[in-house]
Amino acid sequence: MNKVITINLGGNAYQLEEGGYDGLRAYLETANTRLRSNPDRDEIISDIELAIAEKFRALLGGNKTVVVGKEVSAVLAEMGSIDADPAETSGAGGASAGPAGSARAAGTGAAATDHPPGGGPKPKRFYRIREGDMIAGVCNGLAVYLNIDPTFVRLAFVFLTILWGTGVIVYIVMAIVVPEAKSPEEKAAASGDPSTAQEFIRRAKEGYYEAMRGFPDRPARREWKRRFKREMRGYADQWRFRWHGRGTETASVHPGIGFAIPFLSLMQGMAKILGICALISLLATGAVFGKALPANVPVWVAALLLLIAYGIIAGPLKIARRACYYGMGGPGWSWPIVFLVDALVWIGVVAILLSLALVYFPELSDAVKSIPPLIHQAAADIRNWWK
Amino acid sequence: MSVNEKFSALRKGLLEFVVLQIISAEKVYAADILQQLSGTEFTTQEGTLYPLLSKMRRDGLLDYEWKESEAGPPRKYYALTPKGQEQLQETLEYWDQLNVTVKKLGKK
Repeated sequence: MNKVITINLGGNAYQLEEGGYDGLRAYLETANTRLRSNPDRDEIISDIELAIAEKFRALLGGNKTVVVGKEVSAVLAEMGSIDADPAETSGAGGASAGPAGSARAAGTGAAATDHPPGGGPKPKRFYRIREGDMIAGVCNGLAVYLNIDPTFVRLAFVFLTILWGTGVIVYIVMAIVVPEAKSPEEKAAASGDPSTAQEFIRRAKEGYYEAMRGFPDRPARREWKRRFKREMRGYADQWRFRWHGRGTETASVHPGIGFAIPFLSLMQGMAKILGICALISLLATGAVFGKALPANVPVWVAALLLLIAYGIIAGPLKIARRACYYGMGGPGWSWPIVFLVDALVWIGVVAILLSLALVYFPELSDAVKSIPPLIHQAAADIRNWWK
Repeated sequence: MSVNEKFSALRKGLLEFVVLQIISAEKVYAADILQQLSGTEFTTQEGTLYPLLSKMRRDGLLDYEWKESEAGPPRKYYALTPKGQEQLQETLEYWDQLNVTVKKLGKK
């Protein structure tokens, strides 16, 4: 007597003998591991599940309701082991082997020969991951290791660089020291076992087919399918799109707007630099670009006036730029990120300019040193005025 | 590396080409492709075909649409994109050229 386990494949229930179930699970787990670095992993796994479901369906019928272990093995052998990288001719392990090699890998529970089952989550290792990297894959690998979005890791590095200048050095050291994940096994080890993510995907897929059968008519079903398809495709590319697709997206909405944004950014940036230079020269020499202040105007009032003047110049530019962002598709997901990136870029530029200026212009560092007295003076002035 | 292993690498490299060729004729789903390949030198399995198809779709060579099947879950039917057509043409020409070159070389 054999225990029977009911599973859900492609929205239909199938009953498998326990041995067959183990084999199938090991097969799918191996598939998941091998495809870990593949951007279409979820889609391929779902294709594979559907294909297995079709093969099971062909086996069943009449009084036969249970797929026995031998049949599962045969189906899996027919499926063949998952070819992680179809472009490479030197695939890993038996990936490129013919039917004989695949049959070995897919035999009852033997798909697990490469990755022992029941071993629990594999220990994570920190690797550089080149798929979807920006420079050398350090941030990408760290993000996978920490299980967070690579964007955050990159931002952290940018902040480290701006604030203390250490981000770049740390990055370079990591790029040299940390090994790159090359083989599928290493790629798998980079993220450990994403059992929760896997579970989530599985549930999402079940939900898809469940929902589809529940729809009363074809148009509704088609609409649902269309949406699901779009989501499945869109998800993987999304963050990449955020970083690389910004320019193209801008251009595709309206060429004029696409052109206006960088132009306005440039104007705004120039205004900003001009304002900062004016402020620096004011603080350093007590005169704006060599033009002395009228007598009886204290430096702090002049600085305040300078800031207001800057606001008057830069304000409309800012508003115009913002209008352009809204114009290119309204407040979608993209604009806060656009703002954030812009802001970060400017913080970086200003920080670099300031640090350079501090090194090369002694007057400026003097000015910085003299800021505390200035504040005291401002406070004193306000006190006097109040009286 | 035995001769057979060398051939297997060659076949694997050509698989994308023959899949393009098959899809160019009509809209097919994965099992059709496997069936057409079975018995040829390019006999392959789902485990190889699905990752290949998804890679080709990512490269913009083909696209798919879901279609209902009489029984069971819907199926993905694949068709070539213009880019896929173009690549197939190029590969066919290149293949002919390779044939000519291979036969010509070494003959004086």
